[in-house]
Amino acid sequence: MRKFFAVVKREYIQRVRTKFFVIATILGPLMMAAFTIVPAMMFGIKSGGPTRLAIVDQTGKMYERVAKEIVSRKSSRTESATEAEPAQPAVGPNNSSDQINRAGKMINSTFVVEQARLNNRSFDEVKKDLEARVESRELEGYVVLPPNLLKDGQPEFRARNTADLFTKENIQSAISRAVRGQRLVEAGIDEKVVAKASESVDLKTVEAGGKESKGEASFFFVFGIGLLIYMSVLLYGQFVLGAVIEEKETRIAEILFSSMRSFPLMMGKLIGVSLVALTQLGIWAMAFLAFSLWAAAGSSITLPHIPPMLFVYFVVYFLMGYFIYATVYAVVGSMVTTTQEGGQLALPVVLMLVAGFYLSFNIIRSPSSPLAFWASMFPFFAPITMLVRIVTETPPLWQILLSLGIGVATVVGLMWVAARIYRVGMLMTGKKASIPEVWRWVRQA
Amino acid sequence: MEETKPTLVLERVTKRFGGFTAVSDLSLQVRPGRVFGLIGPNGAGKTTTIRMIVNITAPDSGRIELFGQQMNTALQDRIGYLPEERGLYKKMKVGEQLRFFAELKDLRGQEADKRVNDWLKKLELSAWKDKRAKELSKGMQQKVQFITAVIHNPDLVILDEPFSGLDPVNVDLMKQTILEQKAAGKTIILSTHQMEIAEKLCDDVCMINRAHKVLDGRLREIRRSFSRNAVALQFAGGDGLLNDSSLVANVRQHDEEFEVLMAPGASPQALLKRLVDSGAMVTKFELVEPTLHDIFIEKVREAE
Repeated sequence: MRKFFAVVKREYIQRVRTKFFVIATILGPLMMAAFTIVPAMMFGIKSGGPTRLAIVDQTGKMYERVAKEIVSRKSSRTESATEAEPAQPAVGPNNSSDQINRAGKMINSTFVVEQARLNNRSFDEVKKDLEARVESRELEGYVVLPPNLLKDGQPEFRARNTADLFTKENIQSAISRAVRGQRLVEAGIDEKVVAKASESVDLKTVEAGGKESKGEASFFFVFGIGLLIYMSVLLYGQFVLGAVIEEKETRIAEILFSSMRSFPLMMGKLIGVSLVALTQLGIWAMAFLAFSLWAAAGSSITLPHIPPMLFVYFVVYFLMGYFIYATVYAVVGSMVTTTQEGGQLALPVVLMLVAGFYLSFNIIRSPSSPLAFWASMFPFFAPITMLVRIVTETPPLWQILLSLGIGVATVVGLMWVAARIYRVGMLMTGKKASIPEVWRWVRQA
Repeated sequence: MEETKPTLVLERVTKRFGGFTAVSDLSLQVRPGRVFGLIGPNGAGKTTTIRMIVNITAPDSGRIELFGQQMNTALQDRIGYLPEERGLYKKMKVGEQLRFFAELKDLRGQEADKRVNDWLKKLELSAWKDKRAKELSKGMQQKVQFITAVIHNPDLVILDEPFSGLDPVNVDLMKQTILEQKAAGKTIILSTHQMEIAEKLCDDVCMINRAHKVLDGRLREIRRSFSRNAVALQFAGGDGLLNDSSLVANVRQHDEEFEVLMAPGASPQALLKRLVDSGAMVTKFELVEPTLHDIFIEKVREAE
């Protein structure tokens, strides 16, 4: 056991002390911050000033209403989306339209609206005047409300920058609401009723049984954890591989084996390197947390609420997922002689994690099906699938413990196999191992 | 001192890899406080034998007993092993590296630090303690590797081809260090294919070839039993003397020197007397014991 700790200590200290580790640890959060803050800043820069608009009201009665809608920006869509925003962690699924929407919300698009009165001029004259003002950058654009707007007339938005989708959308929905309101009032419905009637519905989800809802936030966290496992395995798997191969390349293996058994040696390597990974991830997590708290304190965004027990599950299954896949790298490392070779061999196994992602879409819909059960017992899927089940319809505790037990057994079993392959492989130096041969080694020796 | 009890006993040990027999039915005994030479050509099974002794691999059949106990992991700490395939952690500092290897032998704390410093000083490496291994020359690395084998003060030191890749100065240093270890009461197993070195250092030898033991025993006795009654000779004058077939069976001449194999029953003493009587000027007269190399070749030929 003391020798095992000697190995753990060496692997840990030798790695943590490297310049590479220090630089990567510092650069990590900076890069993360750069990727999240810079785009936001770029959108922010654009909206340096308010968008100045002129409205030409040919109906003679719509200006007030439209101007109010544009300035207040009380679009029901925008409103509900803003509320949902904190539920989306940085690692949530992003499709491009989603991103555009969110980016649009980031733009602090305030509007300054003025009415362009005809004042006995012809419409063309006014238009010409407005065009000139847009040209000279007094205005960003102007809106023309045609006389037949309330029936089927099509309003026009003329602007310097017609590619600005967000402004266009804001204006479009503002006009729509104004028109809808005016139509209702003209149909004899009280203004207050109209206001009341246009309020949107906010669906509240409560878990049956009256328990506190874990909310959609949890789902995003499950996928976040999955993604985190995937990324850390890709990042640190190479380290595990390198650590296992190191003694082969430096020809130290034989000295080590003359001092200790191969199993504690391999375990020591896995744990040592993993502690390095966890140290780095821990530092990053703290940085991220500190940043989020800071960001949350400065705005009205509320951090998602996650029950503490769920948080424990997240951590436990993250560790299980990480170790299972890191172990795969150890097994591969025991078979090969160069890291490049090893990376290629390990990748197909790591892709099983992706299969776990796909399975989880099915499991969300029926979290208690036999498929869900077996998928959450299979150690290579469990880190994601079991978490999905816990978040949706928490399975009985024995199932959770069983899946964790299987996970631990898998890690230990694979390490035992890796230790065997490593030792026999060393005794047969110069021979390149084929899979059947490796299998023979495992049974032999 | 239990002088009679052997440090290491191998009894009919056999090891196979697939269809290949690396060591076959090997029995040997290593006595305490002696330098034991395991000699034979490359691929004879020396390294496999050693790996079984240090418990890296187990024999398929046979028994290995060390310090009077059946081989087990706890005994590993009492062995110091310098493998033929040896290296260092390239990026690790020399001092830390030795510390780590000491810990693997269950030696730690201040005692470990002290030993590291002592050994570095002894092998003139103190200035390199905080250098990374890759900054050291080959010879220096070899010395550091040697320290890893002896740092924990083991009772049995096993050195597999310790001289390969060393320059003459370091070969001497290594020889001297081995003899110091012997003087300190350690048992040393020296595996080598360089028989001249074995001849100079070993008290006992075991020769193996193609997985089988060829012969073993005390080096002196082996050489005596193989003595062919030969003389190395340099002289001037006394012409024709070497042609006397009652005295001389065979003569080989290299440069000034004659290698004379005495005729059966003739004594080298008689030859010397005849030479002196004949007025020859004798500049060298030496009884030649057969080299290990000669003995090995002869035994292998016998066996085939």
